[in-house]
Amino acid sequence: MSSVENAGQLSRRQILAAAGFIGLATLTGCGSGDDGGDSKDLSKKQNGAMKDYRAGQQFKAAKPLSLSVLHNDNPVYPMKKAWLFWKELTERTGVTFEPVAVPLVDYEKKRSVLIGSGDAPFLIPKTYHPAEVAFVSSGAILPVSDYVHLMPNFRDKVKRWRLEPEIDSIRQSDGKFYLLPGLHEKPRSGYSLALRTDVLGRLGLSLPTSWDEVYEVFKAIKAEHPDRYPFSDRWSKNTPYPAAALFSYLGQAYGVRAGWTYNTIDWDVKAGKFVFTGTTDAYRQMIEFVRKLVAEKLVDPESFTQTDDEAVQKLLGEKSFAISANPQELVQNYRFNLEKQVKGAEIEMIPVPLGPAGPVVLGGVRLENGVMISSKALKSDSFVAMMQFVDWLWYSDEGQRFARWGVEGVTYTRSGSQYKPKPGISLMGSDPDAPKDMQKDYGFYNGVFAYGGSWELVSSMFSPDEKKFQDAMSQREQTPIAPAHPLQSFEQEQASLWETPLRDHVTQNTLKFVLGKRPMSEWEAYVTELKAKNMDQLVDLHNKAYERFKKENG
Amino acid sequence: MVKPSRSYRVFQGVNGVILTLVVIVTLYPFANIVARSFSSERQIRAGEVTLWPKGFNLTTYKIVFQDSMFWRNYGNTVLYTVVATAVAMILTTCYAYVLSKKHLKGRGVLVGVAVFTMFFTGGLIPNYVLVTSLGLKNSVWAIALPNAISVFNLLVMKAFFESLPTELEEAAQIDGLSTYGILLRIVLPLSKAVVATMVLFYSVSFWNSWFSAFLYMDKSELMPVTVYLRNLISGATTGGNAGAADAQLSQVGANIQAVTIVLTSLPILCVYPFVQRYFVSGVMLGAVKG
Repeated sequence: MSSVENAGQLSRRQILAAAGFIGLATLTGCGSGDDGGDSKDLSKKQNGAMKDYRAGQQFKAAKPLSLSVLHNDNPVYPMKKAWLFWKELTERTGVTFEPVAVPLVDYEKKRSVLIGSGDAPFLIPKTYHPAEVAFVSSGAILPVSDYVHLMPNFRDKVKRWRLEPEIDSIRQSDGKFYLLPGLHEKPRSGYSLALRTDVLGRLGLSLPTSWDEVYEVFKAIKAEHPDRYPFSDRWSKNTPYPAAALFSYLGQAYGVRAGWTYNTIDWDVKAGKFVFTGTTDAYRQMIEFVRKLVAEKLVDPESFTQTDDEAVQKLLGEKSFAISANPQELVQNYRFNLEKQVKGAEIEMIPVPLGPAGPVVLGGVRLENGVMISSKALKSDSFVAMMQFVDWLWYSDEGQRFARWGVEGVTYTRSGSQYKPKPGISLMGSDPDAPKDMQKDYGFYNGVFAYGGSWELVSSMFSPDEKKFQDAMSQREQTPIAPAHPLQSFEQEQASLWETPLRDHVTQNTLKFVLGKRPMSEWEAYVTELKAKNMDQLVDLHNKAYERFKKENG
Repeated sequence: MVKPSRSYRVFQGVNGVILTLVVIVTLYPFANIVARSFSSERQIRAGEVTLWPKGFNLTTYKIVFQDSMFWRNYGNTVLYTVVATAVAMILTTCYAYVLSKKHLKGRGVLVGVAVFTMFFTGGLIPNYVLVTSLGLKNSVWAIALPNAISVFNLLVMKAFFESLPTELEEAAQIDGLSTYGILLRIVLPLSKAVVATMVLFYSVSFWNSWFSAFLYMDKSELMPVTVYLRNLISGATTGGNAGAADAQLSQVGANIQAVTIVLTSLPILCVYPFVQRYFVSGVMLGAVKG
């Protein structure tokens, strides 16, 4: 450890701290070392396992097993014991889930307590990377990468869909990954701009395809309605970033991660190194674009502070004519309510308008939230069967279809790639008058079990609007994915100490620049302020980690 | 009585106006929630509902009334509140009574033990491990026992007991009452005010509490209604998170939230007026002694 070598220059307190670290590291090292010894030999953990379990094969435990699982209880479809999902799952696989129900809103909190106290269920789904990193050093969760050889479907999909770079991006400094992420064949775009097409039609405008055209369209609407804002946005509350959706898809057009997708550190392909997102040229151009919209009163300045409801009310009250959307909100909220309130109103969501970065979508979005596995599961004699089961339910075509659509002939019908809920069953509001609901009454399409999958399966659930949107978006090219650059745990702590003030400063000043409260001539000053907050050190830290990982893991 | 001066009457007038405004500001959100609970989803979404329901209907109430999980959790809340309050009252009364005895040896230490917990706690995970290894998880005791003594309530009660004349207890002792007899037959009947106050304090806090239940209960049918409500409300507002699986994007209706809020806060609101008359005298009696 380098800290010992420079001990001469360090204060006594620092040496003590360093000694403590080393002590801890050795202790935890020993702990995982022991597990590692056991783990090589899985011959005694074969209880209920299938002998030659292969990709595409139905998993059926050799004898009935039960498996504890943390269950994120969604208030929209509260967990019921009577769900067909549980029953059918046991019938098909011989595995019975023992769910520990945790209310969705405090899921992360309870998960930490359960893992911290060693009381966690074997399976811990609905974990978003990098949430698993916090538990790595405690040794409480399993380095699942050591056991993917038990998971043929997982390996098959990673290989076929070329997900290796994505998987590499979640590796820790030991080269292992601790989360089994949801895998997507194609990136799925979520958000874009929705516009009142009837208003555009009246003004003789066509749907904009680039941000320059969006600007022109807004100007035309403004000329027609000088007293109103063409665009008033939402998703500024309950998120650390104002107008989180807008910046996210606008940033994509500029090739930067902003808004929801903001990442303090980003990979610069040309330079081959990591850079600070908030000071890149692209980020500045993006700010200047929104600043222009605000200055010309084309976007409502309250967009960055108001609640979602306020923004939607402006749209419904025709005080604005454009808003950020996702396919669900477009159909279930905007269109549904507009049709009732405004005669002849039509609203469409457009494919994300193009910007300087060309037709791209952000890379790295093909991984979704996933499953962590408790280390103590390894001690169970049915460990192998458990891994096979996880592989079947979350990664096999059949398991994914089952979790999404349920039982053919009972909850859905299918012809080719066309899936339909059975009459009398509503899926995500597809039939408001249906007596039963796919999620509430049957337990399928549950966020805990159903995610990821082939494009065919994922798109089988699209509404016509979303289909049109996704078809257009899936033509675009992915931006390159940042190479693995895992930090060691003490670096991680240092990085988060630096990162929080940096991120706050970027967010605050993004807003100031955008709203015209700070002139663009102060951009250099802004960069200097970030430097004073250890921007360069943070970038260095990540670049060093990148070099180190490259050297150690080829 | 002296006739109030002019300036005093002006002061009272201004005071009245300001306080009325405060009352309106405080009551408005509640009135709004009540109005929403009787309104149609569409009108709420359009922001038309303020003080009076728009598109009056009772359908939402019917929907919530039919939700068996809501009633199950509601029943849990009643059960947890009753059991936990009873346990808390017995333990707090006994502890406070002991502490109020000036001649007790080691009284300082006993007070210190209690006050210590106001400043330091074991932390979340040790607490969790303790409760789990005592086998209290998934039972009412996980809620009742760890929160049985609120040190603030304990000190208020202790001060109240100290204010009772010692002569009374001496007289009772001479007449042949045991220690428990004195507590049950003399002290407690004289302490109705503080007991009522403490019952109110405890029951309100148990009724509203959600965290220990959230922590120690693993099944949704064991949760109190507060957890149900919390999940319902925030589940609806965090629907737009990036990266949330699409299966989670649908939202709970605003009117359903409103109905649940009304139904949850109603009982405890009804209890208040009945206990409130004890409330002022109870706390004051304890406090002035100091």
